[in-house]
Amino acid sequence: MASGWSLFVGLIIIVAASLAAWFFSPKGENQTVWRSTLILSFVSCYLMWAIVFLAQLHPLIAPKRADIRPGRVPE
Amino acid sequence: MAPQDTFFRSSEMSLTQLYIANEIGREVVSALGEIGQVQFRDLNPETNAFQRTFTKEIRRLDNVERQLRYFHSQMEKASIPMRSSSEFSDTLAAPLASEIDELAERSESLEQRIASLNDSYETLKKREVELSEWRWVLREAGGFFDRAHTHTEDIRQSFDNDEAPLLRDVEQHAPAGTTGDTQGQQSFSEMNIGFVAGVIPRDRIGAFERILWRTLRGNLYMNQSEIPEVIIDPTNNEEIHKNVFVIFAHGKNILAKIRKISESLGASLYGVDENSELRRDQIHEVNTRLGDVGNVLRNTKNTLDAELSQIARSLAAWMIIVKKEKAVYDTLNRFSYDQARKTLIAEAWCPTNSLSLIKSTLQDVNDRAGLSVPTIVNQIRTNKTPPTYVRTNKFTEAFQTIINSYGIPKYMEVNPGLYTIVTFPFLFAVMFGDVGHGSIMAMAASAMIFWEKKLHRTKLDELTYMAFYGRYIMLLMGLFSIYTGIIYNDIFSKAFTIFPSQWQWPEDIKAGQSVEATLKDGYRFPIGLDWNWHEAENSLLFSNSMKMKMSILLGWSHMTYALVHQLVNARHFKSKVDIFGNFIPGMLFFQSIFGYLALTILYKWIVNWPARGEDPPSLLNMLIFMFLSPGNIQEKLYSHQGTVQVLLLLIAVTQVPIMLFLKPFWLRYEHNRARALGYRGLGEQSRVSALEDDGDLNGGLGARDSMASDGEGVAMLAQDINEGEEHEEFDFSDVMIHQIIHTIEFCLNCISHTASYLRLWALSLAHQQLSIVLWDMTIGTAFGQENHIVRVIMIVICTYMFLVLSVAVLVTMEGVSAMLHSLRLHWVEAMSKHFMGEGIPFLPFSFKTLLEEDPVD
Repeated sequence: MASGWSLFVGLIIIVAASLAAWFFSPKGENQTVWRSTLILSFVSCYLMWAIVFLAQLHPLIAPKRADIRPGRVPE
Repeated sequence: MAPQDTFFRSSEMSLTQLYIANEIGREVVSALGEIGQVQFRDLNPETNAFQRTFTKEIRRLDNVERQLRYFHSQMEKASIPMRSSSEFSDTLAAPLASEIDELAERSESLEQRIASLNDSYETLKKREVELSEWRWVLREAGGFFDRAHTHTEDIRQSFDNDEAPLLRDVEQHAPAGTTGDTQGQQSFSEMNIGFVAGVIPRDRIGAFERILWRTLRGNLYMNQSEIPEVIIDPTNNEEIHKNVFVIFAHGKNILAKIRKISESLGASLYGVDENSELRRDQIHEVNTRLGDVGNVLRNTKNTLDAELSQIARSLAAWMIIVKKEKAVYDTLNRFSYDQARKTLIAEAWCPTNSLSLIKSTLQDVNDRAGLSVPTIVNQIRTNKTPPTYVRTNKFTEAFQTIINSYGIPKYMEVNPGLYTIVTFPFLFAVMFGDVGHGSIMAMAASAMIFWEKKLHRTKLDELTYMAFYGRYIMLLMGLFSIYTGIIYNDIFSKAFTIFPSQWQWPEDIKAGQSVEATLKDGYRFPIGLDWNWHEAENSLLFSNSMKMKMSILLGWSHMTYALVHQLVNARHFKSKVDIFGNFIPGMLFFQSIFGYLALTILYKWIVNWPARGEDPPSLLNMLIFMFLSPGNIQEKLYSHQGTVQVLLLLIAVTQVPIMLFLKPFWLRYEHNRARALGYRGLGEQSRVSALEDDGDLNGGLGARDSMASDGEGVAMLAQDINEGEEHEEFDFSDVMIHQIIHTIEFCLNCISHTASYLRLWALSLAHQQLSIVLWDMTIGTAFGQENHIVRVIMIVICTYMFLVLSVAVLVTMEGVSAMLHSLRLHWVEAMSKHFMGEGIPFLPFSFKTLLEEDPVD
């Protein structure tokens, strides 16, 4: 389902959202604030998501547990 | 027309000159005060407050204001509520001059009326107190007399017998023989014993007795009793406890002495008749008089209260009017007055975009006054630095305050407030990430925004007001915290299990067996951290490494973004030397070290190391060895790594001298060339020829700006040239030292600032661990109880504790700490990359800010 290509899918989504924010921001004296705020939010959120996604893409360590009860294995 | 004002830069300002006909000066200024877009310059800075034109008017208004304050204090004394200023319409239009006169007269007469009412009230009150004291004296003294009369025999005996003390029971050691003339009658007067009766404050009674004893050597008989009810002093409304005393002594001189002593100690004396019949009459008379006084007093009080509540209805409006009027005259005092042409001349800064609004307002005022002479608005070219004015609204205001409390941006430079709107709450959220805590914060902020208008009117205490002022910041902080909470997969320290995990556990697990999960094929956890890490033993090992790298990457993006603003600034101020001497070398330096680090972090994540069968190298060691032994690679990350790193290091090192020397030497070259061509700075002609040989050269940047003048129809004020505040003399050593400091600071800061972003990791770790602890200590222990009843009770108690502590500790305290860290990341780490500061704040003459700063109620 979700593989390395998701990063690019996400990128395309936020680029589209940013373009939409650029063009559909309400006109007037607050247009700059609208555009900057929306686009920066999209970029920041994407960055954070991408970083956490990347960190788990090829993990070097695996979770270890000793407190799993038999028959209650988390799925 | 200037381009539209945005939040990106401060507004373009114009220095304008206004020629206002003297007759409408007041109206013009108050109309401009309503707009609140004009900052008047003081044109008579050398005259003191008393020599100015409108001192008389201000004095008069001061007097009116004093009278209004007097009414206010009287109202507070009578506890009559004042009608709040918010109940009046916001635009209390500028009153006519005649209305002000009327108001002044009215408050004058009202003051007299109130004062006389107050006077008579106080006199009556005093009279009442005196009468009631007298009544107490009569009542108490009566008791003494009645008792004394039964003892006359004893007293007489004491007179008959020289050796006996005056009064056996009271004064055992009274010296005998002082009362030689003995007569044996029943009455005191016949015994030649007089008395003094009165009241005295209870705390003086000790001193009073001692003094009497010493001065009269015990030749007295004193009787006293406490008045059970407190007496209220009408002059200052203080409660006083008093005692009634009656002193018997004989001899006129002694009595006179006693009177004097009692009066000097603040006692009030009253006449009492010793005859019980007369005394009864006296009491009766006092009572009727008291009743009369009480009636009159009540009437006076009612009249006074009625008068005050009448005033209370419009006092706030009057205060606002007077305040505005005073501000208008204060402003008018800044104008210069042309005697010959009967015009006032004003100089003011205003946003260029507001000029048309100002002009139309002035036209309106002119039309209303029916004056044929128009008010002339003249734009002046000047070399003065205009004030910085960033237009804000209720959303951006708090963000701009964050920037302004660090420094006012330079005129027209990029306003960091724009990106702060997102980056400030976002970096906060990185440290505060938790869906639960984020929602609490977002809900609190939403509530404040929903009841915004109501809260705005109420008086809040300091802490709540701060939260209310930053309600939009709080909203964004809360929303971003919810997002980062989803990414960290944390809600009150617990995980969401919406998506299936990318890890699977072995099938058959024995109890207590330590197992390791294995990756599923071709599936990765889509959003945020896999929930299987939450309960894992080695979860911190993974999340620390991830959060640390995330901090570096976010910090790198934040700083690079901030650094780009340096380019935007340099382009706007048309300073090529700043691009080539500061921005490009700085950017190259930063990217070749920390950009490279960011890139390797990403690269290390992308490569599937286990599949390659290699051990991934440590990035920290790589960076350290890149400096310590360039070209020498211990653990390989990719091929040709050594060459690339040496190259990057060379790029970084070569940028340092460029940054150090390019700008100062270029400025010197330019300056010398301008000199050689014969240009001089304005206002320095007198000294040039003498100093030319010394190399102490004037002019430079400031001078170049000032040359750009003399368009059509623009006036250059002669007086401005000589003020010379803008002329910075070019001093090479100064520029050089400044640049050296800048370079060293920049290079060292690149390292320390990148490290500083690690606080994102540290604080988010602390927040997460703290919320885990809180859960385990409260609800976690409650669920662990074996006994059912105990468990139910524990769950109820622990849930309360959990909620209270979550809000108090995790949201409020942790929130404040994360906010301060985010604040620092902006002020120090980001803004140091491009912010010039040193702007002059724009302080327009505005009635609105005037009334906000100094509210009338």
